[in-house]
Amino acid sequence: MGKYLLRRILQMIPVVIGTTLLIYALVFALPGDPVAAMFGDKPVNAAVAAQIRSEYNLDKPFIIQYLIFLKNALTLDFGNTFAGQPVIAVIGRAFPVTIKLAIMAFVFEAVFGVVFGIISGLKKGKWYDSVILIVSLLLISVPTFVTGFVLQYFLGVKWGLLPVTAGSNPGFIDLLMPASVLGSVSMAYIIRLTRTEVSSNISEDYVRTARAKGMSNKSVTLRHVLRNSMIPVVTYLGADIGALMGGAMITERIFNINGIGNTLYQGIIRGEGTLVVSIVTILVLVFVVCNLVVDMFYAVLDPRIRYV
Amino acid sequence: MTDNTISPESAEAEEFFMDPLPGQERFVAPVDETPLKAVDSVDESEPATSMWTSAWIALRKNPLFIFAAILIVFIIIVALFPQLFTHNDPTYCNLDNSLGKASGSHPLGFDQQGCDVYSRVIYGARTSVSVGVLTTIIVVAVGGFIGAIAGFFGGWIDSLLSRITDVFFAIPLLLGAIVLLQMFRTSDSIWKVVFALALFGWVQVARITRGSVMEAKNLEFNTASTALGSTPMRNLFRHVLPNALAPVIVVATTSLGTYIVSEATLSFLGVGLPSTTVSWGGDISTAQSLLRINPSVLFYPSAALAITVLAFIMMGDAVKDALDPKSRTE
Repeated sequence: MGKYLLRRILQMIPVVIGTTLLIYALVFALPGDPVAAMFGDKPVNAAVAAQIRSEYNLDKPFIIQYLIFLKNALTLDFGNTFAGQPVIAVIGRAFPVTIKLAIMAFVFEAVFGVVFGIISGLKKGKWYDSVILIVSLLLISVPTFVTGFVLQYFLGVKWGLLPVTAGSNPGFIDLLMPASVLGSVSMAYIIRLTRTEVSSNISEDYVRTARAKGMSNKSVTLRHVLRNSMIPVVTYLGADIGALMGGAMITERIFNINGIGNTLYQGIIRGEGTLVVSIVTILVLVFVVCNLVVDMFYAVLDPRIRYV
Repeated sequence: MTDNTISPESAEAEEFFMDPLPGQERFVAPVDETPLKAVDSVDESEPATSMWTSAWIALRKNPLFIFAAILIVFIIIVALFPQLFTHNDPTYCNLDNSLGKASGSHPLGFDQQGCDVYSRVIYGARTSVSVGVLTTIIVVAVGGFIGAIAGFFGGWIDSLLSRITDVFFAIPLLLGAIVLLQMFRTSDSIWKVVFALALFGWVQVARITRGSVMEAKNLEFNTASTALGSTPMRNLFRHVLPNALAPVIVVATTSLGTYIVSEATLSFLGVGLPSTTVSWGGDISTAQSLLRINPSVLFYPSAALAITVLAFIMMGDAVKDALDPKSRTE
């Protein structure tokens, strides 16, 4: 186990380097002058531009810029934003909000996705199975931002049940609607996945054997059907953490949340390369670590899987 | 020949074959009673049903498939020949008609700019369907190729390609696409969206192809083919790929819908197609501010988009049922 863990952590290093290099190349090596972007609508002053270029190492070759970035990133020094704030401070302010949002969305999609998926899979063909299926198909085919706007309009504006936007320091209630919207598409996929798994496992031989041995319905379902159905669901959930981070950009924009998604979006639009690359680096790290945790979790679900 | 063996000509053998023990007389029927031909011949009046033939037979009986297929054919016709369905110009907008009510030749009314909503919904199909179809083609070609090479050859090729796949996998589709599209904000070609979605979308297909190629590679027919002198490349294309194709087709069909949604989302974020291109995504994002005043302007393009995506997802489900009878969703 320890050896496996070490190997996986070592494998993460090229992935993180490759991913940051890719994003760095996209942001800095492609056409578009970040210094000109910095001036915004003001005329570009050549001397100031040159100074900024040397301050941000923009006068050096691309690969040197990247290595300097990587070296500084190891000490959590991501440089400054255009406005002069340290990038790490901006991230530090925005990140907790997004973590809260993402955890709520994750719990939402995992709990409701699995529960509805099980109900649907166990009672195939019943009317509530059809309802669950149709609702999940609708959630997948309607873009998140439309779902978001419609919910915001009805729950927030028209009926006043939940806050319309989340303020600067949102609490549980403020994030309830954004988190459900963020998790809704993945929830629909998890419902479908769980339903397929449960309904195919339920006709397996080992389930029949367990019933023949006289196990109660409840423990057959819980210990045999569910446990075996969860492996693909857990894989999906692990990979979904990345999608949640990407999706946060849309949700945070709709509900006006000052999280990492909104900060990243602003950074991309304003052409703040340093900010974008720093945030993406952190997101990639979170994603890679979460996937490792998920892989570790397999052994708990399936004792046949051993890590050596 | 040793003493222990019975030679067919010997008297001993004659006794052995000719005189069965009591009660065993009828265990072996005389050869002339059951001609070998009847047992060994194969019914060749019908061709053997391959996986694809039986999948097609199952598909034709599935109402889900018929429904999805009719919808998709209809949507493709709308995308190819929008002028068959409306005589109005989607780009002709007259502010006098802003948010105008529905009338005979304008069945869905007008949007804020005074453009005819119905003709915009009809003409928007081409953009969404093109983005979906083109992205899927590129993703399957690139992802399928990389996944197949990695899974089939294994070793260092697999390690290298898998690490490259991991790098792209760690960047969420939307995030990567936004960063890339930000660079091409001035271009109004749909290819930039196709390229951005394909660049970060091929990974999923590559992973699935790799897995299913690795599975198909170890099946007996592949060993048999190698034993008969087949080259690895011939094995890959003749035997492994056709048997590894099923999960790839399923994912490709479902992803097509996802790419259409992603295009709309990118347009909503302002980095997708410019407002000069008639697209559902663009119309939805301009209509969102009208939700409180005139929700129908938001509703129609959203509904068109949802129906299209739904059709492709249902098609994916139907194909999955047909190709893998074990995982029936219906």
